[in-house]
Amino acid sequence: MQNRIKKVIADVLMIDVELLNDESSPETIEDWDSLKQMNIIIALEEEFDILLSDDEVIEMLNMELIYTILKDKIS
Amino acid sequence: MINMKFSEIIKANHELVNRIKGTEYKIGILSNIMVHQSKDICEYSLRQKSINANVELGDYDNIVQDSMKFQDVNAILVFWEIYNFIDGLQYKIEILSDEEFEDIIEKIKIEINIVFTNLEQTSLLLINKFSSLIFNQYNLVENRMDRLVKILNEYLESKMKTNMKLIDIDKVISKISIKNSIDLRYYYSSKTLYSIDFYKEYFEYIKPIFLSVNGKTKKALIFDCDNTLWKGILGEDGFDNIRMFKEVQYLALELSKGGVVIGLCSKNNPEDVDAVLEKHQDMILRDKDIVIKKVNWNDKVSNLKAIAKELNIGLDSLVFVDDSNFEVNLINVELPMVKVLQVPAKEYEYNLMIRNAMNYFYNPTQTAEDLEKVKMYKEQVQRVSAEQQIGNIEDYLKSLDLVITTYIDDIEQIGRISQMTQKTNQFNLTTKRYTEKDIECFIHDKNKTVIAIGVNDKYGDNGIVGLAIINYNENMATLDTLLMSCRVLGRNIEYKFMDIIVDFVKNMTIINSEYVLTYKNKQVENLYDRYGFDILQKDESCTKYQLDILKYRSTNINYIKVENAK
Repeated sequence: MQNRIKKVIADVLMIDVELLNDESSPETIEDWDSLKQMNIIIALEEEFDILLSDDEVIEMLNMELIYTILKDKIS
Repeated sequence: MINMKFSEIIKANHELVNRIKGTEYKIGILSNIMVHQSKDICEYSLRQKSINANVELGDYDNIVQDSMKFQDVNAILVFWEIYNFIDGLQYKIEILSDEEFEDIIEKIKIEINIVFTNLEQTSLLLINKFSSLIFNQYNLVENRMDRLVKILNEYLESKMKTNMKLIDIDKVISKISIKNSIDLRYYYSSKTLYSIDFYKEYFEYIKPIFLSVNGKTKKALIFDCDNTLWKGILGEDGFDNIRMFKEVQYLALELSKGGVVIGLCSKNNPEDVDAVLEKHQDMILRDKDIVIKKVNWNDKVSNLKAIAKELNIGLDSLVFVDDSNFEVNLINVELPMVKVLQVPAKEYEYNLMIRNAMNYFYNPTQTAEDLEKVKMYKEQVQRVSAEQQIGNIEDYLKSLDLVITTYIDDIEQIGRISQMTQKTNQFNLTTKRYTEKDIECFIHDKNKTVIAIGVNDKYGDNGIVGLAIINYNENMATLDTLLMSCRVLGRNIEYKFMDIIVDFVKNMTIINSEYVLTYKNKQVENLYDRYGFDILQKDESCTKYQLDILKYRSTNINYIKVENAK
C-alpha cells in the first residue's frame, strides 16, 4: 500500500518516485504546493475509493502521516 | 480518458509532452473560481488526438484583467461562475433590495462587455453559459438566481460574435448528475467547485470544437449493411425479412444533409443491396444519399482504402460501423487511423451510439457547399468515369467547360474560407488553420488580400474550392496560405489559379512562398517548383521559395474561363 501511495503522489507531483521518502512534505519538495496538495488528496481518494474528512486532510502533513491516516482509514 | 484516474491522467499527460510534435496550440482558461485541475485534463484530451495543446491558467477571479493579458493564445475558455460574482451570492441574493439586484445585473453586464471587447481578436472564445443548477436544485419556484441566470444567458447570446461559442454546461452537469459534478468540500475554503469527473466529461464534450479548428473532423461515415443498416442478413433472410434500423438511418440522413459523406462497405451481392436501396419500402437511405458503395466480396481493408482514395480524403477522416467482431478487430489492427464503431447488442444503445458519434462530424458553420456536398461527390464519381472513357486528359478537360470564379476579399464567404483552412489537409502548402474571425481581420487588413475561387463545369457547381492569402510588404508579396479542396484536383485548376494570383500582384516584384511538410500534404511537395519558383532554403520540414514576377510564365490554359464574382 505504501508503494501505491508513493506512486500516486509522485505522479501528481510529476516527479520520480525515488525522490520521495517518509519525511517528504510540502516543505521538502519544491513542486508540492497547496494546489498540488489538493490534487494529491483527490487522487488518493480516487485510488483507494475513500472520502477523507477535513480533519484527516489537515493532518496529512508529510508522507509518514499520509501512510498512517490512510492505513487507519482503509482498515 | 473518462475511465482514467486523475493521477493517471496527470502522468500520461506529462509523458506526452515530449513525444508530441507540431505547432503548439495555446489555450487560456480564465475563471472566477479555482479551476487548476482543468489544465492536465484539457491538455490530455487534446494531446491524445495529436493536438499539441498547452493550457495556461488565468489568475483566480481575474477574468477582466486576464482578458487584457491573454492576447497571444489560440483559444480562450471562460469559467464564469455566477455564484462567485459576489462572494456568497447564492445565499445573499434573495435578501437584496430590487435596486441592489438590478445593480448586480448591470455590473455583470458591464464586465461581460469589457471582456468581450478585450477578446474580440481572439481566434476562438468559448464561454460557459451561466447555470443555477448547483445551488438551485431543490427550488420549486423560480427564484432570483434562476432569473439572473436567464437574463445573463440571454445577454450573452445577444453579444455573440463570430469568434465566440457558448457552451451549455448544464448538459455536462446533467449527464453525470449534479452530485458527481461538484465537490463542495473545497468550495467554501478554496473556491474549487467542480469534480474531476466533471472536468473529464466537460473536456470530452467540447473536444469536437478543438478538433474542428485543428482540421481533425471526420468526413465520411461508412456502414456495413447486414445487422448495421438493418436487422438480418440480406443474403440469407431475404429482401422481405430484413427490418430497418430506422433511427440510425434517419441520423445518417441528417448527417448527409449537413455534408457528411455516407458510404457502404459490405460483403454482399451488389444487386441485392441495390434492390433494397431502390425498392424496399422501409428503407430511409436511398441511392441518392449514398456517395460511395463498395458492395462486393473483397476484404474490408482494401475496400476502405479504395473508398478513401476515390473520395480523395485521408483514412483518418473515416468512421466505419460494423457489427462483426472479426471485421471490427481487423480494421482496428490493419487501419488504426479509421475510427471503428461496433454495433452494440441492444438496439436502443445503437441509436444512442450513432447519436454520440455525430460529434465526430462537428461542423460549426454550415456552408452552402456542405448542403450540396453529396451532389458534388456524386458528380465527382461521374467525372471519373467520363475521364476513363475519353482517355486523353486534355480533351477531357476541354470538354468540361471549366469556369473559375474569383472572390476577392469577399466578407460574405468567410464561413467557407475559414472552413477550408480547417478542413483541407492534402493540397495545402502551409496548413495554417484560421477561424472566421481571423479571416475577417485579414479581409479588412490593407496589407493582405484573401482570394477565394469557385469552380464549376458542365456537371455542376463545386462551390468555393480554393484559397490564397497574400501578405504585402513593400514590393514583396508573400503567400501565407495556398490551398485547394481535393475534389477539384486533376483539372489543372491549380495552374490557372497561380496565373490569377500572379496577375493580381503584378505591381510587386517578388513573390515569397513556402511549403511546410505535414504527414498529409506530400502531394504538393514540388508544387512551387512546377510553378517555376526558385528554392531559397530547404530543410526537412520546410522549403522556402521565391519568384521574380517578371520571369513567371503563364500556363496559357485556354479551356478554363475566369470570372470575377462581383
